[in-house]
Amino acid sequence: MRHLTRHLTLAGFVALAAILVIVPLTSGNEYELRLFMLFLIYGIIAVGLNVLVGLTGLVSLGQAGLFALGSYTGAIVATRLGFDMISSSLIAALVAAGFGVLLAYPTVRVRGVYLAVVTIAFGLIVENVAIEWQSLTGGTTGLTSIPSPNAFGVRLSGYAFYGVLAVLLFLATAAAHNLKVSRYGRAMLAVSQSEIAARALGVDATAMRTLAFVAAAVTAGLAGTFYAFLNSYISPDIFTFSDSVRFLLMVILGGAASTFGPVLGAYILTYLPEYLQDFAVWQKFAYGALLLVVMFVMPRGIMGSLAAGLKRLVPVPRAVAASEGLPAEETLRLDPRAQKSELVARDLTLRFGGLTALAKASLRVKPGEVHALIGPNGAGKSTFVNTISGFYQPSEGDFELDGIQLAGKPSHEIARAGLSRTFQNTELFGEMTVLENVMVGYQQRLGYGLFAALLRTGAMRREDAECRRAAIGLLVFVGLQDYANEEARFLPFGLQRRLEIARALAARPRLLLLDEPAAGLTTQEIDELEAMIRRIAALGVSVLLIEHHVELIMAVADTVTVLDYGQVIASDAPAVVQENPRVIEAYFGTSLDHATPAEVTA
Amino acid sequence: MTTVVQYILSGLAIGGIYALVALGFHIMWSSAKAVNFAHGDTLMIGGLLAVYLLAAGLPLGLACLAAVVAGGLFGLVLERIAVRPFLSQQGSVGWMLTTIAVGIMVESFATIQTQGYARPLPSPGVASSVHILGAGIYPQELVIPLVAVVAMLGLRALQRHTLVGRAMRAVAHNKNAAALMGINVNAVVAFSFALAGLLGAAAGVLVAPVVQASAAMGVLPGLKGFAVAIIGGITSAPGVVITGLVYGVMEKFVEGYISTAAREIIGFSLMILTLLVFPQGLFGKREVMKV
Repeated sequence: MRHLTRHLTLAGFVALAAILVIVPLTSGNEYELRLFMLFLIYGIIAVGLNVLVGLTGLVSLGQAGLFALGSYTGAIVATRLGFDMISSSLIAALVAAGFGVLLAYPTVRVRGVYLAVVTIAFGLIVENVAIEWQSLTGGTTGLTSIPSPNAFGVRLSGYAFYGVLAVLLFLATAAAHNLKVSRYGRAMLAVSQSEIAARALGVDATAMRTLAFVAAAVTAGLAGTFYAFLNSYISPDIFTFSDSVRFLLMVILGGAASTFGPVLGAYILTYLPEYLQDFAVWQKFAYGALLLVVMFVMPRGIMGSLAAGLKRLVPVPRAVAASEGLPAEETLRLDPRAQKSELVARDLTLRFGGLTALAKASLRVKPGEVHALIGPNGAGKSTFVNTISGFYQPSEGDFELDGIQLAGKPSHEIARAGLSRTFQNTELFGEMTVLENVMVGYQQRLGYGLFAALLRTGAMRREDAECRRAAIGLLVFVGLQDYANEEARFLPFGLQRRLEIARALAARPRLLLLDEPAAGLTTQEIDELEAMIRRIAALGVSVLLIEHHVELIMAVADTVTVLDYGQVIASDAPAVVQENPRVIEAYFGTSLDHATPAEVTA
Repeated sequence: MTTVVQYILSGLAIGGIYALVALGFHIMWSSAKAVNFAHGDTLMIGGLLAVYLLAAGLPLGLACLAAVVAGGLFGLVLERIAVRPFLSQQGSVGWMLTTIAVGIMVESFATIQTQGYARPLPSPGVASSVHILGAGIYPQELVIPLVAVVAMLGLRALQRHTLVGRAMRAVAHNKNAAALMGINVNAVVAFSFALAGLLGAAAGVLVAPVVQASAAMGVLPGLKGFAVAIIGGITSAPGVVITGLVYGVMEKFVEGYISTAAREIIGFSLMILTLLVFPQGLFGKREVMKV
């Protein structure tokens, strides 16, 4: 299936190239060619917007604003400074990218949904600046003296201009596809499906969302300049909110996250108005209705629905061959020079308003040990875990991993410093496959940059192949190789927990934090978990185990720390802690003669 | 001096509209962590429907009341068909797209019905203007900010002293825990959207006599209401109402001393700047990411 998908994608690119070559040869007149060129421009916008909508799940309703920004920038640079079309478009792309960062960064770190509002507002800002700044933009009359298309001092014929646009659409589609199947695409998908888990694996969610929006801004900026040259006239009223909706609809209708969907959507929505001219007044209504229908009837769009249909016809084999994988021992082996893996937390205090959830809690996880953290419900275990993984900021105190101070750092930086975790309520990337989930965990160990990803260089492919082999090896390690190509959300609960462990291990942590890994597991699964924890510790990875299941703790832990009311009340070998009267009291309220904590399984 | 008073008073009037719209966004967001992106159109539904019902022979008071109720129904229906199906999907923005879609349809339908013309809504509040410190203003405009403040206080009273209000607070705080306590979360969310719809349509009915009712009358107030909610902090009801009023006044000054175009440029740039400096808004609470 992996090969089938790859072949189909390749065939798609060949078909796209063929169409782009054939159309100008068969088009009957200039008007037909011009309309097709308009489609190419819209296609470029849609392909870029798809990175934002399809991969990060965010919505922009201001693409017309960025399109206008690109149009004006390109036109002004060309008319005032005499730049040719190509360099004008590059400058427009740069300016659009700058505004993209400016808009996205402050917005997406707060709430993704705000982006829709901020982008609508941006569209209005652009429109009003274009009206107001008459000396530069010509005000409401617009810019009229845009030169005819030219490149490097040579005037381009209609066909040459067409060629530029066709090549650009083809390259943009290829680059967006490459991005999708690279570590950037996986990180963006991961952020959209579970921001928490992505951050805990070292993915900078804000950076990924900003990057996606910049991709959408750059393509809109480029397309804007070409539009200005195609039209040779621009004015503020050409770029409307309704266009922003149309661009978004192109992506959703064609199929968000699919490679060719946006191109198909752009084609349909460029030509549809031509056929519906008699119903001009209903055109906007039709866009709204179409969007509504697509959302309810085929939310994955045309290409997404086709892909789903194909999957039903040619089912994907769930398993991968274990032999394809790199042995987990090799993946997890730590750099011998850095083999310390020691976590020290000093006097961690965390207050929520008047409630003190942690009161001067100190803890030391020695290199290579399995350290259990236990305590009655509400003792502050989860708070402790969320604090040292960076989701809560401690009010006082600090903690370090191998001497690196981590208090106050965001979770993705803590993850990059070598701390991986699982979650009490599993946080998988549900719509990604089991294998892809683990590959996201491997993320921070991949070294290739954005341009290598866009160009899909040989080095990038080798690294990604390595990542895949390592991920398969880890699936073998936790016994999930038979589910590799299954979507994570379809796994039974016990297996989801194992997948979380494999994913956390992929980051090659020095400290693995397991947050109630036995909750909801059967007795047999707990036995397997016990063996797995031993094998992980044997590789030199320190384990901090938060658990209620006392038998498991007694069996695997080297040290047990007990929390009660946010305070550490005991920390010692399991057998010693078991006899500690304060611990018994914490669990039972008063000390009892006949009971031991070993009977507590709550 | 007269000009300053004039700007402040008419600013408070338009600011009251933004405050009412923003209050609606606050109510919806609190209960559902989702909003109706067509909320601006609720305002248009209120304003236009009042005009049509009046023309159909209903007395003014009844026409306005029916228009407001229709706004509430719009919120209720939209929640049921366009929002609820997507709320259970984690991280889904489907509700955003569907509410936008409905908004586009409603607005373009209204454009076709009105043929793009604006219709006046007569009201005793605009029969004659009054003069305050030399500034001329309609009594209608003086009423709008008062309604916004009363709506905010009413919401607070509702949330403190009634069962449904307490349920709204519980759902806002923790949906799952509220459900476990026997609260019908779906009903509370639906109620919130209806309440926001009532406020939105009321804003439309109030502003229509001043600006005339038209298909596009809700677009800018809807957007600015959301901007106000972002600036004020969408989690704080008093925060968004105060911000709405201040935003309206600021707009009038920019409009008066610079230009209408500058009004939008400065207003929306302020929103982006606020997000940069105060991510949770001026009065909003910092949300702890629940793990």
